[in-house]
Amino acid sequence: MSQLYNSIEPNIIDDEMVQKAIEEQCPEDIGKLAKREGINLKDVTELQLGFRNILQIDNLWQFENLTKLQLDNNIIEKIEALESLVHLVWLDLSFNNIEVIEGLDTLVKLQDLSLYNNRISKIEHMDTLQELQIFSIGKNNLTTLEDVIYLRRFKNLRTLNLTGNPLCHDEQYTLFVVAHLPDLVYLDFKLVSDTTREVAVLKYQDLTEPLEHEEAQALAQLEENQAKQKELEYHKTAFVEYLNGSFLFDSMFAEDTEAAKLAYLPGVGNLLQAYRTEFVSVCENLFNYGLKEYEKREAEVSDFYEGLHEALTANQQEGRKIILDFENRNKRRLDEIHSASSYDIAESKRAEYKEDILQLSEALMTLEMLIADQLEELIKDFKGNIAVIASTFIENVKGMMTQCRDLENRYHEKLLEISITTLEKSVKNQLDEDLPADVRMLLVDKNTIVNAINASHGIRLLKIAKRESDILSNTYRWQASVTEKAFQNEIDRNRDRVREIVQYIDNLQEELDNIEILGPTE
Amino acid sequence: MEVLEEKEEEEQTGEELKALEISDNLQDVEMKVSMEQVCVPSDVPDFDWSSIDTSQLPSSYKINSPKEKKLLHIADHFLQQYTHLCPDRKPLFLHPVNECGVEKFVSTTIRPTLLPYTELYHWDGCASFVSDYLTMEPLKSPITPPSSLYSPTTILKYQKGNCFDFSVLLCSMLIGAGYDAYCVHGYATHEICSLDETLKLCPLLRKPQEVPKEGMKKKSNKYRVKPPPDLQSKFELQQEAKKAAETEAAQKNKEREEEKVTEVEKPKRDPLYGLRVHAWVLVLSGKREVPETFFINPFTGNSHSTRDEHFLGIESVWNHRNYWVNMQDCWNGCKDLVFDLSDAIRWEIMLSRIKKPLQLLSDAEEEKELSDRDTDDMQEKGEEDMSFDMPPSWVAPIQISPREFETRCSQGRKVILYKKAKLEKWAPYLNGNGLVKRLTVYADLDCTEVVEVREWFRNREDMLDMREVNKQTQLTTEYFSPGHLLGLKAHTYMSLEPETEHTMEFYNEARVDGLQKRVENDNKMTEYFVGRDDFLHVRHMEFGKRGKKIHLASTRTDINSRPIVQIKECFHRNLEKPADEDVAERIFLITEETIHLTYHLKDKYITASKKDFFKAADGDRKGNEIVMTPEMCITYQAGSSEKDKKLLHLYKALQQLTEEEKQLKQQVRQSEAEVLNILKIRENEETAVKLTVSIYNTERNKKRRQQYEAMKNTMEDELLGQEEQDLDYLAPFLIQIGHRKKMTKGQALRVRDDCLTDLKHRLIDKANIIQARFEKAVEELQKKNQWFQENHNQLSAEEEDDFLTCCSEIAFRIHILALRLNREKQTAPQKYLALEEKLRKDPRLAEYLGHA
Repeated sequence: MSQLYNSIEPNIIDDEMVQKAIEEQCPEDIGKLAKREGINLKDVTELQLGFRNILQIDNLWQFENLTKLQLDNNIIEKIEALESLVHLVWLDLSFNNIEVIEGLDTLVKLQDLSLYNNRISKIEHMDTLQELQIFSIGKNNLTTLEDVIYLRRFKNLRTLNLTGNPLCHDEQYTLFVVAHLPDLVYLDFKLVSDTTREVAVLKYQDLTEPLEHEEAQALAQLEENQAKQKELEYHKTAFVEYLNGSFLFDSMFAEDTEAAKLAYLPGVGNLLQAYRTEFVSVCENLFNYGLKEYEKREAEVSDFYEGLHEALTANQQEGRKIILDFENRNKRRLDEIHSASSYDIAESKRAEYKEDILQLSEALMTLEMLIADQLEELIKDFKGNIAVIASTFIENVKGMMTQCRDLENRYHEKLLEISITTLEKSVKNQLDEDLPADVRMLLVDKNTIVNAINASHGIRLLKIAKRESDILSNTYRWQASVTEKAFQNEIDRNRDRVREIVQYIDNLQEELDNIEILGPTE
Repeated sequence: MEVLEEKEEEEQTGEELKALEISDNLQDVEMKVSMEQVCVPSDVPDFDWSSIDTSQLPSSYKINSPKEKKLLHIADHFLQQYTHLCPDRKPLFLHPVNECGVEKFVSTTIRPTLLPYTELYHWDGCASFVSDYLTMEPLKSPITPPSSLYSPTTILKYQKGNCFDFSVLLCSMLIGAGYDAYCVHGYATHEICSLDETLKLCPLLRKPQEVPKEGMKKKSNKYRVKPPPDLQSKFELQQEAKKAAETEAAQKNKEREEEKVTEVEKPKRDPLYGLRVHAWVLVLSGKREVPETFFINPFTGNSHSTRDEHFLGIESVWNHRNYWVNMQDCWNGCKDLVFDLSDAIRWEIMLSRIKKPLQLLSDAEEEKELSDRDTDDMQEKGEEDMSFDMPPSWVAPIQISPREFETRCSQGRKVILYKKAKLEKWAPYLNGNGLVKRLTVYADLDCTEVVEVREWFRNREDMLDMREVNKQTQLTTEYFSPGHLLGLKAHTYMSLEPETEHTMEFYNEARVDGLQKRVENDNKMTEYFVGRDDFLHVRHMEFGKRGKKIHLASTRTDINSRPIVQIKECFHRNLEKPADEDVAERIFLITEETIHLTYHLKDKYITASKKDFFKAADGDRKGNEIVMTPEMCITYQAGSSEKDKKLLHLYKALQQLTEEEKQLKQQVRQSEAEVLNILKIRENEETAVKLTVSIYNTERNKKRRQQYEAMKNTMEDELLGQEEQDLDYLAPFLIQIGHRKKMTKGQALRVRDDCLTDLKHRLIDKANIIQARFEKAVEELQKKNQWFQENHNQLSAEEEDDFLTCCSEIAFRIHILALRLNREKQTAPQKYLALEEKLRKDPRLAEYLGHA
């Protein structure tokens, strides 16, 4: 074996080899054509590179649309350079010298993977291959039965080949695999019988049940997270994320150490509680209002696009009608010109046809002008409406934020009052309660405490202002983007249409011109 | 009611006789008319009800039970009070005589019965059955109720009756089926009373009302493009509108004149309007999920709303329980009547109840009674609730045999005339071709010019359901039920000749190719498909003239087929492909060797991509090497200017198309063949109509019955054979020997002897047993005698009787035993001899015993 291995010059995939491989797999007649024209590597969907002593995979990045790749019977040692072949459905790497499964993460469409006769000792790095149906990893160095559990994540796996691995010597091998992969239909080229499955399930119930439980839990967790994420996403599009609850309020106090200290002052606890409930209720209002406004905005946008779509469809139909009319009228025109009895007749007919084409061009362009004008107006209306919606939203948000600020100010005043009275009491040593040392530190003189209170007030106001500006800027951005998109879409559409018309007319002209050459010769 | 009363009063003033005369005359006329209309073919026009045989009827028909007598008494009393209270109203219809001349109360004439046919579980089935099964007879006098009311059984037997007979029968069936139904005695229009439907549109011709589709599109969008500026002259438009209005006005005038003509057709006013007595059925809401109270006209079997203007008034209603008199005013027909029978002011009840009105009767009780009804001992339970309970019906159970039920109308045929239409009905299997219904539509009121004939069939093996022949266009359309051999659904044609105009519709779900419709005429064929995987929905083929262009078309298939000129296929959008790779239409111009492909429109585009292939005519010149040249294909790619699509792809596409063209040609030939096949099959089916018979219909399904009987016979034969086999008298002895096949003479003799001795033992045993019994009986007798002798004096007369009977019994037994013993002694030797003889002849032993 080693001698054989040594005697052969290892190869690397290069253009020449690829070209040859492509040519080989073409039928003869097409091959000739292909040779003459050259082949676009993007069009190749299947490639066979077996028995070529390839040592290293390379130069395959151009085959973007490849669905089937055979690299069997080479001396490849490492799976690499396959990242760009994302459409791959079938990958054959059997009879190579691969030791580690890797580099397959981007091949998410892979259904059939063969790693037969390699040197792999662990099943790993395949989490993204969720479409996998057939997996062949026979004649490798797999030793532990528990490796099979990894394969449970492939919900579509129906055929598995594990023969020739050391783990197959285990007496329980078949039952273990069948028990852990209950959806398997073929194992090691044999149909899994129902009786085997029953026996296996019974035998390994204790092992598989906790696994199943775990998986179910994980799935539930995932779903929950996704649902939450989705909810948050929804709130974000409505610009009111984290406003349903005390999140903003908590964040206002989160970094404020002074406030925490002040909370120990007598009576502040209650005050804080009352402040909190009020603030949260205002936030809640804002949140609900935000969601409502969001629905309104969405409805407005979808209304607009519906109207736009209606207009466009009507326009498209009209244009189509004009073209169909023209085509029906001129179905036989070219033939007539072509086979006209005399040059004059052909010429006159040609002129006629030319005139007709011109008219068609005119008609289509007029139609386009019309719809462009109409749509411009439509979009202007839309812009206006969007602006109105946005400004009312902003106004109301501002109002609610002012409510928040008022609450904050009131709280601030009351806090000030309390702290001053406490200070006075403290000065007079009339305090009933024991206060923590750092709180006592604040109660040394009026300036200190007022400063502390003012500082924390400032922080809170800042938080509110930031949240407000977030909402406002998001709203402005939304307004701009929606309007911009509508305008841009219209511009693109208009350009596309004009180009289409021009091209179509050109095409007709060209056809006519081509005929002209033949006309007189007959 | 007032209106009626007033009218009556007017007429009553001395002109009663005259009125009666008029009515008699009228009735005669009506009789004639109705006879013509109903088309009772060559029947005895006046069926003599007095000649019917009443001798076979049960006694309940002929005499009144005491309870019935009491009921009649109560009824008379009620009538007296009623006439006293309402002297103006007509006498009530309470107890007419039945066919045996006995007065019976009307409620007892109703015999609630549930018949064992699923159709008759619903009111419409019952109503149409009654209207079909019975032949209508007009009332003797159209303005008075009949003097007699026969039992439903008699009516069923003779299959004819007046409106009261109809109603009673229908009511019996409806109550039996669980409906809250009542017979109604009232007044109706002439058309209703005389079963004159010539002014009505045939219900089969009534078009289903189109539900206006609105609300969907109404949502106006504020984003609507403004219409382009209108550059038309307003003045011109005005002028045009004026002109249009003028012509319209002229048209209207014309129409009005026409309307006048049609109005003449309407009948003149009926002089007896509002006086014509009629009986019908009222079904109250509540039971059997009837949502609303309605009438059923028993003559037609149609339901009518209680506000129907044809029903002009109600005198009284009754069911099997009670009798109610209407006390409401009928000046406005039945429109304002309230059908709350528990309302004592509106409805005067005859047998008043103390506790609960009928409508509140619990369902459970009702059902119990229903089941009791058949066994004649009904209504014992509810009795506590009522002061006087209605006696059970005197009528025998209503029975309809399956054959009668199937045959429906007398002689299995019925004709109904509608406005400009004639409807004929037949019993199934009566006509050899399965015809059950025929509707002839006429252009005029006199029914002379046939417009259209529709025929309905049943039980046909070819699943033909209906045939529509339009006499004006000569177009025939046949509709098939699912299950025809070729999935045929409808077939429209002028003649069954091939290559003429045909439209065939198919049950596309039943076909592999999803073919829904195929339209063919002399040189075109269009096929419509539904739900195909390749999104094909239309295939259109054009054919050339036969014979002339044969050299162009493929001659090898068959010379007779028409050359194909063009095949066009249209596809729906396949959303999995991009629009400009998804073919919308492809045209194979076979004679010109070109293929046109048109692709689907891309989103928002108005021009479709196109490809035109011109097959290489010079391909053969260079041997068989086909070279693709850019001239062979003209491409227009919408929305992209780059045209340099590789020839390779075009070549592949062309190759594929050529292949498909070949297949398509074959497909077309197949379609043609299928059309021919269908036409042939249809012709065969039409010439030899076969009717299917359900395997459960043993009466008709002769084959099935024969099969069944044959099976039964063979079963019986087998059983007999088995029995014979079982009784092999030699078996036990042969088993003793062991191997049966070979037997020595000695063995055979032993078998014989064993057998004979066995029989001897048996016979002796038997004799012994009899002897023992005999002796025992004698002994018993002796003992008895002895006992009697001893206690002779102390015995009572009774005991003595006992003893005597006992003695005689024992004596009898002794006698019998003696006889048997005797006979046994006589027959034993005979039996022995017979067995010996039999053994000698037994094939298993014969060869050995024969020599002996």
